Amino acid sequence: MNFRRKLLTVFAFTVVLSVASVAFLVSTLTRRAFARNEDEQSASLMAQFQREFDAQGKEIARRIDAIAASDAVAHMAATIDQGSTGSAGFFDLAKSLAENYQLDFLEFVDGNGTIVSSAQWAAKFGYPETAFAELARLAGQPAFLKHEDLQDSSALGMFAVSTAQVADHPLYAIGGRRLDKDFLAVLELPADTRILLYQNPASTTTDGSLIDSSSRDASKPSNADKLAPLINATRGTGRGVTEIVHWSPDAADDEMFHAIPLQGKVNAQPLLGILLIGNSRRSYVELERRIRASALLVGGGGILLAILVSSWAAARVTRPVERLAHAAHEVAMGNWNTRVEVEGTDELSQLADAFNRMTTELLTQKERLVQTERVAAWRELARRLAHELKNPLFPLQLTVENLLRARQNSPDQFDEVFRESSTTLLAEISNLKAIIGRFSEFSKMPQPQWQSTDMNEVLRGIAQLFRAQLQARAAKPIECVLDLDAGLTTISADPELLHRALSNLVLNAMDAMPDGGTLTLRSHHSDNGARVEIADTGSGLTPEECERIFTPYYTSKQHGTGLGLAIVQSVVSDHRGTINVHSEPRRGTTFVIELPRNPELTQAVSA
Amino acid sequence: MKHSGFPLLAASSLLLLTMGAHAETRPQYGGTLQISVREAPTTLDPADTAQQDTLASRNITKLIFETLVTTDDNDRISYGLATWWMFEAGGRSQSFQFRLRKNVIFHDGTTLSPAIAAASLRAANPSWKITSNTDSVIVECDPPCPYLPEELALPRNAIVKKSSDGKLSGTGPFHINEWHPGKKLLLGAEENYWGGSPFLHEIDIEFGKTFREQLVSLELGKSDLIQIPAEQSHRISTANVKLWRSAPLELIALVFGHDAQSAADKSLREALALCVDRASIGSVILQGSAQPDASVLPNWMTGYGFAFSTETDLARARQLRQEVRTAPLWAVSYDSADPIAGLLAERIALNARDAVLQLQPTKTAASDLHVAKIPLPSDPIMALATVATATGLPAPQINSGSAEDLYSAERELLATQKLIPLFHLPVVYATTKAVHGGLTRQDGMWNLADIWLSRQKTGSDRP
Repeated sequence: MNFRRKLLTVFAFTVVLSVASVAFLVSTLTRRAFARNEDEQSASLMAQFQREFDAQGKEIARRIDAIAASDAVAHMAATIDQGSTGSAGFFDLAKSLAENYQLDFLEFVDGNGTIVSSAQWAAKFGYPETAFAELARLAGQPAFLKHEDLQDSSALGMFAVSTAQVADHPLYAIGGRRLDKDFLAVLELPADTRILLYQNPASTTTDGSLIDSSSRDASKPSNADKLAPLINATRGTGRGVTEIVHWSPDAADDEMFHAIPLQGKVNAQPLLGILLIGNSRRSYVELERRIRASALLVGGGGILLAILVSSWAAARVTRPVERLAHAAHEVAMGNWNTRVEVEGTDELSQLADAFNRMTTELLTQKERLVQTERVAAWRELARRLAHELKNPLFPLQLTVENLLRARQNSPDQFDEVFRESSTTLLAEISNLKAIIGRFSEFSKMPQPQWQSTDMNEVLRGIAQLFRAQLQARAAKPIECVLDLDAGLTTISADPELLHRALSNLVLNAMDAMPDGGTLTLRSHHSDNGARVEIADTGSGLTPEECERIFTPYYTSKQHGTGLGLAIVQSVVSDHRGTINVHSEPRRGTTFVIELPRNPELTQAVSA
Repeated sequence: MKHSGFPLLAASSLLLLTMGAHAETRPQYGGTLQISVREAPTTLDPADTAQQDTLASRNITKLIFETLVTTDDNDRISYGLATWWMFEAGGRSQSFQFRLRKNVIFHDGTTLSPAIAAASLRAANPSWKITSNTDSVIVECDPPCPYLPEELALPRNAIVKKSSDGKLSGTGPFHINEWHPGKKLLLGAEENYWGGSPFLHEIDIEFGKTFREQLVSLELGKSDLIQIPAEQSHRISTANVKLWRSAPLELIALVFGHDAQSAADKSLREALALCVDRASIGSVILQGSAQPDASVLPNWMTGYGFAFSTETDLARARQLRQEVRTAPLWAVSYDSADPIAGLLAERIALNARDAVLQLQPTKTAASDLHVAKIPLPSDPIMALATVATATGLPAPQINSGSAEDLYSAERELLATQKLIPLFHLPVVYATTKAVHGGLTRQDGMWNLADIWLSRQKTGSDRP
């Protein structure tokens, strides 16, 4: 990952982390605020419900008292007091009185607990009143919750009890109103809030047992089923429960429900109903969505800004670095004159300046080194020339001195001496010419003639050329091994020059194995082109020899000119390749030549 | 002298007083009798079986149309449009020849002929073979129908003449002046009625009135005659109203929609019959006005009604219920216009709950059983036949008409468990004090041809 990307990643991560943190914080605070608000609303609604219950309960109690005190009830009580058979004529009195006093429920129960008249279930006369045991206690008390069995259902209502006493026979009037949608409709609900009433006796939440004050039809079985877990939890614990109800996949339709149990006073205070206060989470969810959308927008903008800023910053930072890297690359390629433009005075500018100083120093040192090497080469050349020339010159000098001496001392033998000396002189002069010829040849190395070359063919040709010589050494034979890569592709090269260079290496190898051995000619396919190895199992080279072996005129042989490997290196260099030597004493030497494919050169030639 | 003049004066005063009172009760012609009824018939055709058979519809039929034979005040068959009949038995079939009364004119002016009478009877009884000759109508029955005269006395066998435009014409004491189906019927006195012109000039009948509306109408003087639910009759003040009560002949029963399907079904039906608390229902809902009965025919009609126990046997009912693994939920329907029927259904459902039976009262027609009110003819054989027809059972075969035969036929009818008799209710009418004469007979049928209105009522109505 480059510096620019790293910088962008850091910038983006920082922006996203910051925005996410802020969004999370805001969301958390918002959620808490909404939850607090919902709790307050629910508490307020419950208080309102209680106030309304108390108010309507008082009114119901007042009406029940009025009914119990009415002449019709007094007449009924007196009639019943005289005998039970007289009650038959009053079986529909409760209905008419309930209509007159606008009550949903009204029953008259005699002192034996028998229903004399029932408004809500007229046919129930003569049957026992289930709450009879509690009636005396509840008479005159505030209104209470009670379940009332109806013909084919049941209803939850606010009830009050009053007594019409005749002699020792009480006649109880128990009546009230339904706790239904109308009651709930009286409550002033905040926006996005609704109130539902669940009547407990039903085993499941069905249409009849769930009353919804709002226009939303939550009483549908499918919807009521979603409230069932909440209701069951409340029924199970007998305490208030708060849950979120999901009406649809859209979270905005969710409602936070507070379930508040409603208990009655009759029959050991059973759980008669559950008040369900539902607060729509639409506002909260939409606000949260807005926060999330804003966070995403800000985050996205931040990331975009981060890209721009990081690009700009990276450009400012990396451009000098890139220039430095490019310059370093140029230097590596041998362009020692490369320089980096220095702008400003920051660290990178100082680095660039240092780089420039370094290249200048390197160039100076290189020139100095070249100069030194050139002097050394000339000295080596002079030494070699001196050595090479001294060898034939010394016999020449001796021969000429011998001629002079023979002319003076033995003129009669001068002719014979002259003839012998002439032969020697000519031989040495020929030797001198040969030395001069080799030097001349090295100085006149031809330029490569580029063509598509199969290095395996070149190696096979060399092996073929030297096979006779290798086999001629019958006593101490050298085995020639061809290890060629069949997948080797052709390269652009001059096969003649390469043949000459590789022949030099083979000759050197043969010289290195006077006691026989193995000569290996190996080719390999490389990413760049071809790799050729010439290995022997001879005496090997010392590290010093390996270091100087390609220096012109350097030789470790008794009669070498020191130009063979220099020629090899020159040829390889002309092919833009490299040559290396790996050697260990007494284990042999391997020359490794890397030759590039150089396709452009062949194309240029073809064109 | 002093002492002889005073008795004379007293005798004269008493005579004058008696003459004045007699003048008030003496029959007078004219006036319009206003009637309000709960029923709302949509047709006047007595042969239209699609219409519910009610006492009101029978009464209206009797005002406009007549039957070949009729029943007198003692429930004996007597002459109607026929003045003579003869019975012949031949092989498996029987035939009756009815000679028609002469000079009887339909309201449209047509003279009653045997052909018209035969056509009318054929329309009402498609299975009968009916022919006519110059003066008689001959009815052949196969299988035999020994009680044909009693059947012909039923209002549904009244002789009706239908014109080509569908108008109905009868020979009764009143003809149709206006007819608004289900709302109003205005009848005019038939001056040329063979039995003599009725005292009333017109009869104005308003249909579809609730009991409360009828009562208000009666109290305001807008109606002269209303029908009162028997259970409400004790609440009517008789200061300004006359009450007319028939014998208890309206059968209230639970009628199942289908025959008993299995032994379990029969057990459940028996359990239901045993758990109904007739005594409480009779005393409270029906306010003692009804006769609790477990028999189809009322005791006054047969004399053996007591043999059918009306006692509640909850233990036996529960035992029968326990013998059946599961009891279905029975929907029991009732006439929504009849508040007592609804209360009855609710109470019976409550009683059934005591026997772990499930009954669901409903106003919808589709149900397993229903609370039926069946007005019975005063003739026991016809009453059994009427009940059989109303419950979808075949008419019982009664040979001699003796009490034993009737008892056997009734037992056979009840053995089907298609119905559970509960009560017999009387029919109660209320009239204003202006209505004079015998309004109703024991069988609850009106006798409007023989009643009249007092003077102050007729004064403005006399044409």
